[in-house]
Amino acid sequence: MEMFLRNPLYTNPEPCQHLAEYKLKHGFNGYKAIQKLLVTSPIGKTSVKKPKAVPRCSFCNGCEGRFYLCLICSSFSCLDHTILHSQSEIGHAVFVDIERAELYCGVCCDQLYDPDFDRVVMSKHSMGLTSGATGNESIGQRLIKRRRLISGVGLNFQKSKCGVSTKDMRAKSCYPMGLRGLNNLGSTCFMNSVLQVLLHAPPVREYFLSGGHRLEACHRRRTTDLMCLLCEVNAIFSAVYSGDQNPYTPAQFLYSWWQHSANLASYEQQDAHEFFISMLDAIHEKEGKSRNGSKGNEDCQCIAHRVFYGLLRSDVTCMTCGFTSTTYDPCVDISLNLNTSVSSTEKGKKLNKRNDDGSLSTLSGCLDLFTRPEKLGSDQKLYCQNCQEKQDSLKQMSIRKLPLVLSLHVKRFEHSLVKKSSRKIDRYLHFPFSLDLSPYLSSSILRARYGNRIYSFGGDESDMFSEFEIFAVVTHSGTLESGHYVSFVRIRNQWYKCDDAWITEVDEATVRASQCYMIFYAQKTLYNKANEDQSHAPNSPGRELYFPIAGCC
Amino acid sequence: MSVPKEEDLSPHSQLSSHFFLDLLDSIIVDVASECHRVARLGLDSNLEEEDEELKLSAQARVRVADPSNSNDANGKYVVDIFGQTHPPVANEIFQCMNCGRSIMAGRFAPHLEKCMGKGRKARLKVTRSSTVAQNRYSRSSPLSAHSPSSNYSTNSMNRLPNGTSNFAGEEHSNGTLES
Repeated sequence: MEMFLRNPLYTNPEPCQHLAEYKLKHGFNGYKAIQKLLVTSPIGKTSVKKPKAVPRCSFCNGCEGRFYLCLICSSFSCLDHTILHSQSEIGHAVFVDIERAELYCGVCCDQLYDPDFDRVVMSKHSMGLTSGATGNESIGQRLIKRRRLISGVGLNFQKSKCGVSTKDMRAKSCYPMGLRGLNNLGSTCFMNSVLQVLLHAPPVREYFLSGGHRLEACHRRRTTDLMCLLCEVNAIFSAVYSGDQNPYTPAQFLYSWWQHSANLASYEQQDAHEFFISMLDAIHEKEGKSRNGSKGNEDCQCIAHRVFYGLLRSDVTCMTCGFTSTTYDPCVDISLNLNTSVSSTEKGKKLNKRNDDGSLSTLSGCLDLFTRPEKLGSDQKLYCQNCQEKQDSLKQMSIRKLPLVLSLHVKRFEHSLVKKSSRKIDRYLHFPFSLDLSPYLSSSILRARYGNRIYSFGGDESDMFSEFEIFAVVTHSGTLESGHYVSFVRIRNQWYKCDDAWITEVDEATVRASQCYMIFYAQKTLYNKANEDQSHAPNSPGRELYFPIAGCC
Repeated sequence: MSVPKEEDLSPHSQLSSHFFLDLLDSIIVDVASECHRVARLGLDSNLEEEDEELKLSAQARVRVADPSNSNDANGKYVVDIFGQTHPPVANEIFQCMNCGRSIMAGRFAPHLEKCMGKGRKARLKVTRSSTVAQNRYSRSSPLSAHSPSSNYSTNSMNRLPNGTSNFAGEEHSNGTLES
């Protein structure tokens, strides 16, 4: 029997006086009796089986509406008359809403929550839960790994205990290190915008600046004529963090990347998101293989995996029998559809400037859409192992494991099969600076599926690191055919606009109002730590410091 | 939708109206019950922060849309944080690592494309006339319809449809076609 874990996500609800008295007197007898009557649906709903004869309210004899079953005497009351039942029969205060299997207090006239009752409900569903097994690793082991990762030990930081020196005058000046324009080599803003993000992603920055990939140690360089892509990235880090204020020309990088991308795919990327993916792919492909040998990416320790990779869970549920098949897929980012069908609320109207159709798309809305149960079309019936035939199915996505850096990609294009054309969606998308991802975790999604019962759903304490802070946004302006990418990066709560060679300071409002295309969040603990460390960032190894002439402010 | 008065309806319509209202009631109670549980268990504790972000976002959009607010110019004639200005086309000159020629930074990508024998242009030159080869395709579009075929891309349900990988268009950096 599952122990009720102290889940920090729940507020432990206090029982009302009447529930407490009921439990003292009757213990679990009523619950156990109800358990026999519980009916579970394949998609997670719970209700109480109705008797063959139509239930009637013991007071008004009405047979319509919602009924509440008394836990003690098993009589039915309609909602309005539960209080009368409680008054006429002393001690008969606790009811069950038979439609939803929720407890109700007839005296307090309020819905009640009891972990013991929820456990009873969940044990009825127990078959559906075991399919969510997450592997052989114990929760304890995962916890330890997770903590190590967060504290940075796993990433092998060479902490700047040596040479914290602030010889670099600019550390005391207005602008933090690492701000340097990137020259546009001919419509390469898609590349520049993503490079700026990587340059300021806390764990990536730490990795390269602390010598995570040393030229001398790179064995790949010695074996092939091609430059190692990581060496190229390392070179960019060195150049950008050198203190040189002239815009940097990433020509060597482009050259190397084109040589690598030719191996990976047969097209030339023009989309910032595609460039981002291909970059991380290339890093994993080259780095991961050399480090891990085998093709297996279970525990790949390449920088791409360690920083960006999360795990998505996909549940496909047969709508007839409830059998759920679960698969896990690693993901380097999440591509979100814009939630365009948003209903407006009064409160919303006051707060938000509307789109033309009067509604506001938000990032949470897109994430809701992403994790919403989706009924697969009747032409997409999947074979159910249990039923032994094709059935209508429900599919639901959730996040099993969050990465250190979460990359969200907004799908701003519509492809019309009819018109055989694509167009860009310019619709404004609201995105927060602080994002809590706990509602989208597998444990939360699973819990919501079963009615948010108080129960442990397989999440572990790593789910507590679900708070993220934004550190970069890639924006696009223009059309599909002709447009421009600009990045915004956030350093110590100051935003900078990275528009190819031009780095300028901007205020928060500019960023909030921008048309986001890719949004990057870092785990809050990492983000805060990176901010503290800013003034002590290790200098690029092996580089002469550039001392600015007076008056840089 | 407004519910017609019971007296105005035929008995049949009255009955169906009655059932509809019953169903509607049931759905409303379902939603209320669900939200009540979420609120009572503290599962929606972020509501206030979310509202605050929405408010800031709305304010930001108003501010930015106001033409009287001096935003940094969108053009390329701005001064960066170091007090520098830069030409629209990067004019740093260096040697191409493929062929050794001196190239201007802002023209490096198109040069490299031909130099390395990549891209539609380079291939076209072999079989077509030079006028066709002058059609440029943008390097700044938000979409290439060709989806990455890697194993590490996201959620398989959201793959992009396969299509042409290039879009014709003008080179964006200064709005002119390269001759």
